[in-house]
Amino acid sequence: MLLSFAQWIQATGFFTALRGSAYAYPIVLSMHMLGIAFFGGMVLMTDLRLLGFAMREHSISDVLDQFRVPKRWGLLLVVTCGILMAGSKAEEYYYNTFFRAKLILLAAVVLHELVFYRGVYADPAALDQAPGTPGTVKTAAALSLLLWASIACCGRGIGYIEPPLDKIHARVHSLKEATLAALCGPSVQKGQELRCCSFNPMR
Amino acid sequence: MTASDFLGLDFSRGFDRLAYRHAMLIENPLNSSEYSFPILECFHIVGFALSIGTIAIVDFSLLGVGMRRQTPAQLAKDTWLWTLGGLVLMLFSGLLLFSSDPDMYYLNWPFLIKMVLFVSAVIFHYTVHRKAVASETTPPNGKLVACTSLALWAGVIFGGIFIGFVYPGLNLGRI
Repeated sequence: MLLSFAQWIQATGFFTALRGSAYAYPIVLSMHMLGIAFFGGMVLMTDLRLLGFAMREHSISDVLDQFRVPKRWGLLLVVTCGILMAGSKAEEYYYNTFFRAKLILLAAVVLHELVFYRGVYADPAALDQAPGTPGTVKTAAALSLLLWASIACCGRGIGYIEPPLDKIHARVHSLKEATLAALCGPSVQKGQELRCCSFNPMR
Repeated sequence: MTASDFLGLDFSRGFDRLAYRHAMLIENPLNSSEYSFPILECFHIVGFALSIGTIAIVDFSLLGVGMRRQTPAQLAKDTWLWTLGGLVLMLFSGLLLFSSDPDMYYLNWPFLIKMVLFVSAVIFHYTVHRKAVASETTPPNGKLVACTSLALWAGVIFGGIFIGFVYPGLNLGRI
C-alpha cells in the first residue's frame, strides 16, 4: 500500500516536473541544508541551554519563548524541502533504509513532544524559579539532541544507498550525467532514460 | 648520480599523473573505509548547524527578528564560543573530506566558489560583522551587515551541496 502510494505521488505532474529538472534537486537540497543551519542551530542552542552549557546569561524562558516561533518557521522550511525531495523520488526513497529510519526517528520526535511538552516546554517561566534545572528537563534536552543528531545523520545516509534500479519506475535527469554526456560525447544517447542521481562519492 | 636516481624516481617514461593520484588516494587511510566519508560529513553538518546557526541567531537579531529581548551584542557574547567551536569542527572535518580526493575538488567549480565565499564569510564575520554587533547602540548599517553575512553563509551551503552534483572539468574517475 505504501509502495503504491509512493508510485502514485511521484507520478503526479508536479513531482514529475520537479524530477525532470536537473537543477531542482540540488537547489531544494541546499535550501534543506540552510533550514538545518537555522532550525538545527536553534535546537542545539535551546537544548544546550536546558543542559546548562550554553547561553547561561539568559534565562531558560527567554531562550525557549523567543525561539519558539522562529523554530516553527525553520522546521517549515526543512520539512517543505524534505517533502519536495522525497516526493520527487518517492519510490527510490521507499526502498531506502536510512529514509525509513529517519521517518521512525521523526515519529520519535513527536512522541518526545507529547511526553515532555507539559513538564518542560509549556511553562518555561516555572523553570526559571526552580532552584536547579530538574532532571526531567535535562533528560528531555539530551534526548532531543540525540534524536535530531541521528535524524541529520540518517538524512546524510540516504544518499549512500544504491536504489534497486530494476524496481524503480521514475525517470531522473541528473546534472552529473548531463555534464558527463557533454564532456564525454554521446555515450549517453539523446532521449535515453537516465536513472538515479544520488551523490555517492565512493562510486 | 642524478637527483632522480638518488630519490629512486624513474621519470624516463614521463610523470604519470593519474598513477600518482591513484597511489595517493590509496595511501590515504580515509579511503580504506567506505564509512569514513559519510561519518565525516555528519560531523561537517553538525559543525555548520552550530556555527551558521549561531551566526544566524545574531543576524536575525540585527534584523529585528527572533530574539528581541536581547541586543545583538548580548547574544554574540553568549554564542561566540559555540560559533568558533562549530567553525573549527566544520573546518577540520572539511579538510579531511577534501583530503579524500584533492584533485577532484580542485577541478570542481562549486568547490572553488565555496572556498572563496567561505574565506570571505569568515573574514567578514571577524571584522565588519563583529564591529557592527559589538556596538551597544543599533548600528546604522546593521541590517546590511546581517543580510551580507546571511547571504555569504547561504552561498557556502549552496556551494557545498553543488559539489556533489557536478563532475569536475576533467572526469578523473574514482578508485
